[in-house]
This record gives sequence, structure tokens and C-alpha cells, in this order.
Amino acid sequence: MMKSVAAALVAATAFSAPALAQDIKVGLSGTFSGPNAANGIPYRNAAEVFPKTIAGTGVQWIVVDDATDPTTAVKNARRFVDEDKVDIILGSTSTVTASAMTDVAVEAKTAQIALSPIQIAPAKRPWVFNLPQPVPIMVSAIVEDLKKRKLKSIAFIGYADGWGDLNWNALTAEARKAGIEVTTGERYNRTDTSVTAQVLKVIASSPDAVLVGASGSAAALPQITLKDQGFTGPIYHTHGTVVKAFIDAAGKAGEGALMPTGPVVAAAELPDSNPIKPVSLDFISKYEAKWGKGSASPVAGYAWDAMLLVEAAAKEALKTAKPGTPEFRAALRDALQSGREVAGTNAVYRFTAEDHYGVDERARVLVVVKDGAFRLAK
Amino acid sequence: MSARRLFLAGLVLALALAPLVLPPQFVTALTYIGLNGLVCIGLVLLTGVAGMTSFGQAAFCGVAAYATALLTVGQGWSPLASLPVSVAATALVALALGALTVRLAGHYLVLGTLAWGMAVFFLFGNLPGLGGFNGITGLPAIAIGGVAFTDPRLVHVLVWAAVALAMAMASNLLDSRVGRAMRSLPAEIMAESLGVPTARLRVAVFCIAAILAAVAGWLQAHYVRVVNPSPFGVNASVDYLFMVVIGGTGQLGGALLGSAVFEAIRTALRDVLPHLFGRSGSYEMAAFGILVVLLLNTTGGGMMPYLSRILPKPAPVRAPGSAGPLPRRERAQPGQALLEVRGAVKRFGGLVAVNEVSFEIRTGEILGLIGPNGAGKSTLFDLLTGVQPATAGEIRLEGRRIDGASPRAIAGAGVARTFQHVLLRPEMSVLENAALGAHGRGEAGILRSALRLDRAEEARILFEAQRQLDRVGLGEFAAQAAGHLALGQQRILEIARALASDPKLLLLDEPAAGLRHHEKARLSALLRELRDEGVTILLVEHDMDFVMNLVDRLVVVDFGTKIAEGTPASVRGDPRVIEAYLGGAEA
Amino acid sequence: MNATIALILLQDGLTSGLIYGLLALSILLVFLVTRVLWVPAGDFLVLGALTLAVLRQGEVPGTVWILAGLAAVTAIVETWRAWRAGDWRGWPRLIALVVVPSAAAVLATLWLAPQNAPVPVAILLVLALVTPIGFLTYRLVFRPMVDQPTLTLMFVAVAVHYVLTGLGLTAFGSESFRSPPFLPGRLDVGFTRLSYQLLIVLAVSAALMAALGLFFGRTLWGKALRATAMQRFGARLVGIRTESMGALAFTIAALIGAVSGVLIGPMTALYYDSGFLVSLKGFVGTVMAGMASFPLSVLGALLVGLVETGASFYASPFKEAIVFGLLVPFLLWRSAVQIRTRGKGHE
Repeated sequence: MMKSVAAALVAATAFSAPALAQDIKVGLSGTFSGPNAANGIPYRNAAEVFPKTIAGTGVQWIVVDDATDPTTAVKNARRFVDEDKVDIILGSTSTVTASAMTDVAVEAKTAQIALSPIQIAPAKRPWVFNLPQPVPIMVSAIVEDLKKRKLKSIAFIGYADGWGDLNWNALTAEARKAGIEVTTGERYNRTDTSVTAQVLKVIASSPDAVLVGASGSAAALPQITLKDQGFTGPIYHTHGTVVKAFIDAAGKAGEGALMPTGPVVAAAELPDSNPIKPVSLDFISKYEAKWGKGSASPVAGYAWDAMLLVEAAAKEALKTAKPGTPEFRAALRDALQSGREVAGTNAVYRFTAEDHYGVDERARVLVVVKDGAFRLAK
Repeated sequence: MSARRLFLAGLVLALALAPLVLPPQFVTALTYIGLNGLVCIGLVLLTGVAGMTSFGQAAFCGVAAYATALLTVGQGWSPLASLPVSVAATALVALALGALTVRLAGHYLVLGTLAWGMAVFFLFGNLPGLGGFNGITGLPAIAIGGVAFTDPRLVHVLVWAAVALAMAMASNLLDSRVGRAMRSLPAEIMAESLGVPTARLRVAVFCIAAILAAVAGWLQAHYVRVVNPSPFGVNASVDYLFMVVIGGTGQLGGALLGSAVFEAIRTALRDVLPHLFGRSGSYEMAAFGILVVLLLNTTGGGMMPYLSRILPKPAPVRAPGSAGPLPRRERAQPGQALLEVRGAVKRFGGLVAVNEVSFEIRTGEILGLIGPNGAGKSTLFDLLTGVQPATAGEIRLEGRRIDGASPRAIAGAGVARTFQHVLLRPEMSVLENAALGAHGRGEAGILRSALRLDRAEEARILFEAQRQLDRVGLGEFAAQAAGHLALGQQRILEIARALASDPKLLLLDEPAAGLRHHEKARLSALLRELRDEGVTILLVEHDMDFVMNLVDRLVVVDFGTKIAEGTPASVRGDPRVIEAYLGGAEA
Repeated sequence: MNATIALILLQDGLTSGLIYGLLALSILLVFLVTRVLWVPAGDFLVLGALTLAVLRQGEVPGTVWILAGLAAVTAIVETWRAWRAGDWRGWPRLIALVVVPSAAAVLATLWLAPQNAPVPVAILLVLALVTPIGFLTYRLVFRPMVDQPTLTLMFVAVAVHYVLTGLGLTAFGSESFRSPPFLPGRLDVGFTRLSYQLLIVLAVSAALMAALGLFFGRTLWGKALRATAMQRFGARLVGIRTESMGALAFTIAALIGAVSGVLIGPMTALYYDSGFLVSLKGFVGTVMAGMASFPLSVLGALLVGLVETGASFYASPFKEAIVFGLLVPFLLWRSAVQIRTRGKGHE
């Protein structure tokens, strides 16, 4: 207890001490509490193993919580640009909170790397980047798998929230392109106690497969209920479900569940030629040294990738400008969208002025739950 | 200018200049305090003033926010043009919801608004065209006359201008005829008997609160520039309620204080606790709940009363030295029948509480209605005042039937009453309580009052109230809180309030009950004076001594039946009265 | 929709409806006796379910520390209150009531939990751990506020809900829990298969409701409770200590919550914050019964469960809106009744 108070005091003084002029400042706002906490906390954990210098220049990672509240996210963004005068903003870690921050970033002409998939309006493209694989890329992996298995139809059951919406929209679009029928779209809430009715509706629409548009352990309820009601086709999940909590919650019923995810999940199984493999293994070793074996996740990997992107861009920008200046912020943005490839744990990123999503098919693999672990689906 | 007004003006000026000196994150926090404060002003009117509450305020913000998002993003309207439409849409929803629930007991309103808050959140997320749970982005900034409010400091000024306007209008409203009526709403029977249309006024207050929430929603939508369901769920509504509870629901200032303290607590918990416990996100909710419980346990009335002790006091409401007359009723000649009761019957199931009772009251007399306990006096009184309908029989006031009419209609016809258990608004001043009686003689409405266009009429009402207070001898206490008066004085205040309505007939329900000897004597003298001035009085009483020396005529009831009628002297000798009343009482 | 689906839906709706019904009972009981809108009803259900899940993993549930802390704080505060009032009569009995059951439950759990206690023992531990929390909440928070307006009491209830949810988060974390079923599988009854879990829920809630009925109808305490619910002031006049009745109502409410948690725990995954929506649906049930009748409240809650399942099947995105929209026709009807009875005098 005393130790943590002491640590807190140190941390507090570290934050309040006037920044040395040459330090690079990075603001990270995330959903460390509130409904999306499970998805946000790995980012904060990852930030603790971030490097303290880039190319000899000090870096301050200013990490704040937005409690999964878009209003707080906006307040955080304002604090970053007005008070801290950060050089780049990372965050937030949910779609809604990340979207809410974009206006501030654009107005302040500061680059923002969203850590949850968002839709970037053309007017905001100059300053807003999207790091995690956009949902359509992930869902397209599912649709490709359906085609490979020669399946004709899929049903959807997902959250009644923004995440559910994103996956539903992606599924209907990708399936239409591939000529696959979407038989029904059902919704439920994370805290619902039963999805039997929705599952029956899904089964009654006789699909060949089902996509569960949920995340984390709450994705287990439809998985279990589907199995329970005798559904035998493949059950897909979103990449938000690639967490240990899902396997724990679904238990035996979770075996065979399929989900697209970043390659970091199956890093050891990747071929040595894959540029993602060494980066992932490096990340996993550093992260797990601090947080324990088996703690690394694709979500923490996004945080790591954001750090790698900042690092690569800052090295370039430092050549032309001083941190803390508008010129440096612009240089950082230009370096980010220079079109150079940066290998991360979840993707090989290549942002250009026109494309601020910057990922391709290398950014996803399909994994299957087997013997209580995520394995590459062969 | 009073010290209070000077202080408020200084506060407004300080807030307006704050963005120039404060670091930006404080400006952001202040802007949100203002936005939330706007909603809370409505909640204070609703909860503290009118005694209702709502778990749907955030949903009202949401209706306006979504309306303006649809109009500006979808239809290309300017934010300013969409303001009236967004607010009107919200007001319409509130009107429907209010009409549905405000007649019911308080818990139905709570649960009705809770259900509405829950349902609307999911409707926002699922109705086509609203952008799902990710909402609508790209709202334009507010622009007024070519100035775009993109700078957060400008938004701050705009928000606080709205708050200042809302505060001014709300406090104008409270200090007016309608405001007094609003403050009388928690005592429904009293309010109705003073001619206040309680159901309609409740709906109106509900709509005012919704409109304030709508303005806040509109401002917030164009400040944050995105609209999505999460800030408009029930949790947000609960937050608003906590703000007013923390600040204090009794005064308008509590809205802003609560909003500020809430923001401070939340920020402090978020920033301090993680350092104390080494991780964040786990303790805030419990700590916040504990703080609220502690606060409510120690100060039921929130923090504003404490702040009020330090702040300059508001000037008490005073009557003007002179003012024009209020409308008066036409009066019949003395001696004519004013109120006629013919064969009145009231049954409760098999029990006959009032059985074929007939009598009349003549203009200018004091009539006593007496009988032992349980004789049916109170029931008869309820029939006369419309609190309960008669089962059979007729009651006529100047020839027109009033049996079965509502208490409000009977009050409107010129019958004023007092209550056996004194019903006053203890926190309002003696003068304001008396002025409540003149409610039916004024007509200024909500808008006129909020804009201060009611002053001429208000002066007449207050002048009349003061005149009646002087008449009954309470003039010197006008500025005191009514709750501070002794019981005897409170009864007399009720009479002054009744007189302020310029009644044709004054009904007094056991006015001597609980009074000390000298208080009774004073009351007796007052009633005699009033009679001499031409006021007609019916009093229900079981205190024989008090009645015998006071009234002109007596009606005696026992077991629901009239057993005697006449002058005190003749009734006193009536063997049936002696047996039923005196004999019964002593046996 | 065919008959098979209809029957499964019916089962599902009945199960949720029964759980809502149990909570509706606790909500109504607390409301009638103490005028408190019992928002935390669902939090007790969650506490019960999560405690059971952790116990069945052979670990010590965080509920132990919640209870121990609450009992300690209550004992200290009650001692302080006695000291300030200078009135020590009743203090020993009170402290015994506060400390003994809590300490017994805590110690028994610390001892038995790591030994992987058998299911019936685990259930008893859950009830022993969760039930005193209701009593302590009343002593610590609500009893001193007996004379506050209903509105204030409601705010306090919401704040208590925050506290319990927050404590749940610290004790159990943000992930969900599900206990293994007591009796896996289904019973084939010819035309459909009934899950054993549903049969257990049916049997236990029927038994619990019958027991409550007997308690209210036959025992002195139960009658006193009913009298308090009907006429607080009158009950005081005839010598019923309404404060004890408040404590009793809260204790029973907590017990009902714990039992519901034990019932629902193996059927679904629950989060620390799952309780609020369940409470609200219980509320909808009680409101539909006019906040007056116990059997009607259960019926109302059953209706809520069935409508919810039906809405989940036909229009799942709108199911919450539909469930809470149920109140609209009901409120309309109440309003109409109110206007008609008022208007009667004009005939």
C-alpha cells in the first residue's frame, strides 16, 4: 500500500513536472473503466512497457481513462491538445469514444490514431488514422472461409450496440458481394440472461453458419445456446472475442468456434518468412515479462503497434522539427502517411495520404478454439 | 440593487471572463457544468418545487440532440434554425408523457419516466436513419450571425449565457402567481381548493423541465458534434438526479452547485483513487455511491442550504405600498339564502355518514355546524367543499348546483375554506402564502411571469395579500416563513389566505382545534369583526363554548342526521341536543 | 414459428419471468413496509449467483470481504450511535445480531470454500453470506432515514445500488461467471423436453412463494409485517415496532435475492452489473400490479418474462423498448381509472 502511494506520488510528480522542451508527448486515452473496460485495460498495461526514448529523444506517454464515455473522451482530447500540447493522440479504445475525439484532433491539427475501428469521414482524413483492422477486412475473412467451405447462408446474432452495428453492416455488405445470403440479424445485450429466443429465430432461418457479433466472455452465451439448441454448422465470432475470457466462459461448448484475428495470436505458428512473426514474438516476450505468461493478446498488440507507428514516424519527424511545435505535429503526420511499411504484431501497416486504414489481408488470420486455446485454422 | 443581485452579477461576469484566464481543461469542465446545470434547473423545478421526479431527463436531451442532428446533418438546416424545432419536438413528447403519468401517484411518474428512458435509449440505437449505436457524426458548430462557435471558449460563453437566462427566467417564474401555485403542488388538496389546476400545472412543469433538457441537448450536440445513444441513457438521467440531490432540490442555486460538485467528485475520484489503490476503474463507483449515501444521510436537503448561509440573503418578497384593486365578486343582499343544502346523503358502502341533511346559510351570518365526534360533520364539510361527491341530494350556491363539482370549481364559485390540519407551505413567507389565496383573481401565465411582464398584476395580488394580513392582524409577520408561526397564527393565516380570494362564503373546518384559550379568544374576536364587515361564515366545530358565543345560528347533527337548528339559545335548550351532544359527551 | 419453438420459448419466458417474479416480491415487500424503491434487488441476485460460481470453483468469494467490512462498519457506527445517544439498552442484542451471523458465515466460508464444499453446502453458504447484507444495509443506511421523504429514500436506494455494483466489480472483476448446472440435461415429457434447471426454478420459486404466503398468513411476525405494509401508523399504534419490520423486510428481500441468484447462476453468465436490468423488469411487474398485490406482481413479472422472450424472437433489436413500453398501456389504463373515479361526482 505504502509502496503504491509512493509510486503514485512519483507518477503524479512525473506528470506535473514541466516537460523538457525536447520530449515527445503522446496522449493515450482509453476505456480503462466502464462497459468497455475489458477491452481497454490491455492498452494501459502495454503502455507500461513502452520505451522511454525514441532515437535518443525522451517520450512522455500520458495515459488517461475515459470510462467508455464519449463526453469524457472529448474532454481528454481537449486536455491533450490544450493543456499537454501533445504531438500525437492515441485512442480511444472503443469505437464510440474514438469517434468522439476526432473533431478535436482535426481542429487542433494533431494526428490521432484510433485504437478501435472507426469510420473516417473524408474531411477528417488529413489527421485521423485507424489502427485496428477495419471490421469489413475481418468479416471478409469469414466470408472467404464460407466460400471455401461452399456454404451458402449465414445468420447474425450480435450486441445491440456500436460493435454489433459495425459487424452487422460489414457482414451484409461482404456477403452480398460474395453472393451469400444473410438469413436474419438478431440482437442482445451484454448483460442479458438469456438469448434462447434469438437463437431459435436464428436456427429457424436455417443458415449454414452463424456469426456472433459480440466480444469477450459475453460472446459465450450465444455460442453455448446455439450448441445447446442443436446447431451443428460453423459458428464464427468477431476478433473482439479472441480473449481468454471467452474460452473460460464457453468451456466445452466453445470448442470449434472460429474467429478472424491479428496474426500475433498465433505468432509461434506463423512461417518464419512472415515479417509479423519477429515483431510479435518480441512484443510477447516484453509484455509477458511484465504481466505474466499468457497475458499477451491481440488487443495489447494494437497498443504495441501504435507505439511502433509513433516510433517510426517520430524518427523521421525529428529530422525536420522540434517536438511540441505545430511543425513537428505536421511532420509526424506526414511521416505516418509516407507510404512506408511498418511491420506490427497485428498487421503490416502502410498508410498513405489517401488510405488511412493501411492494412491488407496480411492483417488477419482465422483461428479456431481447440483444446482451450486459439490455433491457426487450417 | 441588493447584495444578492450584486453577487449574482459578479458571478456571471466571472464566469463569462473565465475562459480568458483559466487553463483550457477547466473551461471544458465549466462548460459541462453549465450544460448539466441547465438540465438540473429543470429538475429542481420538477423535484424541489413541484414534488415530482423524472428518470427521463437525459432522454429528453437525447430527443433534442437527435432532432437537431437529423435536421442539420440530414437536411442541411443551420443549428439555430433547428433549435425551435428540436425543443418543440421534445416538449411534445414531454406533454404526451406528462399527460399519461402526472395524475398518478409519484411512483408511477418515476417508473414511467424510467421506462421511457430505457425504451428511448434502445430506440435511438435501433430506429433506422439514426446511425445505430455509433450515432450521427459531423454536426456543424453553432453559428450566430456569421460567428461560428468552434472555439471551446466561445461555446463556454454561449452555454453560460443560456444558463444565466434559464436561471433568471426560472427565478422570475418562482416569484410569481404561477410560481406560488407550482410551489403549492406537493399539497394537492390545498392547491385545488385555492383554484390551482394541479394536473395541468404539473404537466406544464414537466414540460418546462423537458424544454431545459432539450436546450442542453441541443447545445451539447453542436458542442461535441456527434450524437449517439450512450449519453442519453438512464444512467445519465440518474446522474442528473444525483446532481440536484447533492446540490439541494429546494433552491435553484442547488442545480448549479450540484452540477459543479458532481463534476468535482467524479474528477477527483477518477484522478485520486487510482493513485491510492494502484489501479483504476474498480473503486470509483462504490466510492461515489458511498459519498452520496453519506451526503444524503447527513443533509437531506443537499449542500445549497449550507452555501446559502454564507451567501447574501435574497431580499424577501414585499407588498407594494399601494396598487390597483383586483377584480371583486358581486354580492347578494344580506339575509338572502346563499348556500342551500337539500336532502344531502353520503353513503360509504352500507354506512350512512350523512342522512338527508338540509339547511341553508344566509348572506352575512355566521352559521355553526356542530355535533359530537363521529356525527358526520367532516363528511358534510367534504360534500360542501367538493372533496367528496354526495350520494344524493342537492347543494346550491346562489341557486346554482355545486354538488359533485370539483374543489377547484367550488373555489372558483366563491367558496373559500380552511383546513382542520393546517395546510400551508411552511417554507414560503406569510405574505406569499396569503397571496396564494388570490390565485384565482389573477391570470398571468408561465411565459408572462418568466419574462417579468406580470408585475402590475403581481403588485395588486401582493397588495391584496398584505391587506388581508393586516386585516387579521398578521401584517407585521409578512416576511417570515409561514412554518415559523405559532399554530394559532397559522390558522389565522389560513383565514387571511381564504379572504384573499374575495370569497362569498368562508368555510372553516374546526378552527379552534388545538388552540390555547387566548388564541381562541383572539380567533373569536376576528370572526366577529369579519361578520360585521359582511363576510358570510360557516364553521364546523365541536367546541361548544367557542361556538355558542360566536354564531348567529346553529345546525346540530348526530349520527349523520340533523337534530336541531336555530339560535344558540334555542339549541342550548333543545332536549335532543342535550341528550345527543352534551349528554352523550358526559356519559 | 412451430409448436416446438413455441414450447421452448414458453419455457424460456417462464424461467425469466419466475426470476423477475421473485425479485418483484422482494421489491414490493420492501416498498410496502419501508417505502423504499428497492433498486438494488437485482444486485443481490448477482451477488448470490457470483458467490455461488466462485464457491463452486473452490475459491473464497469476495462476498466474504464485503460482508465482513459491512458488518464491521455497522458495528462501529451502531456503537457510536449508542454512545452519542447515551442509550446502551438494546446495544448488546444489536451487536450480536450484526456480528454473529456475519462472522459465522464468513468463517464457515473461509474454512469450507477451499475444500470444494458440496453443492448443498455451497448454496447454504451463499444464503448465509448474502442475506445478512440486506439486514446490514437497512441498519446502516435506511433505518436512520426512516422519516425522510420517499424521494430521498429512492435516491439513497440508487446510491446503494452503485455501491453494491462497485463492490461487485472489485470483488469479482469485470468478467462474467456461470456456475455448473445442478442437474444437467433435459426431461423428455413426450411433446417437449423440459430442462431440469427450469423444473428446479419452478419448484423452488413455488416453494418460496408458498413459504412466504404461510409466513405472512400464519405467523405473528408475518402478520405484523403485513400490518405495517398496510398501515404504518396504525401498526405503530398497536405496538408493532415498525423498525424491526423494516429490518425483517430487508432481510427477507436479500434472502429472496440470494435464492434467485442461486437459481439463475447455472443458467446464464452474469456480470457484476447484470442486476440493474433484472431489477427494472421486476419493477415493471410490480407496477403492472399497481404496486399493491404480491400474487399479481408475480403474474405481472411472468408477463414481462413472456413478452421479453416473444419480443426477442420477433424483434430482438427492439425488445427492451417493447418490454418497457408494456408500461404505457398500463399507465394509460391507470390514468383513465383515476380520471373516471374523479369524474364520478359529476354524474
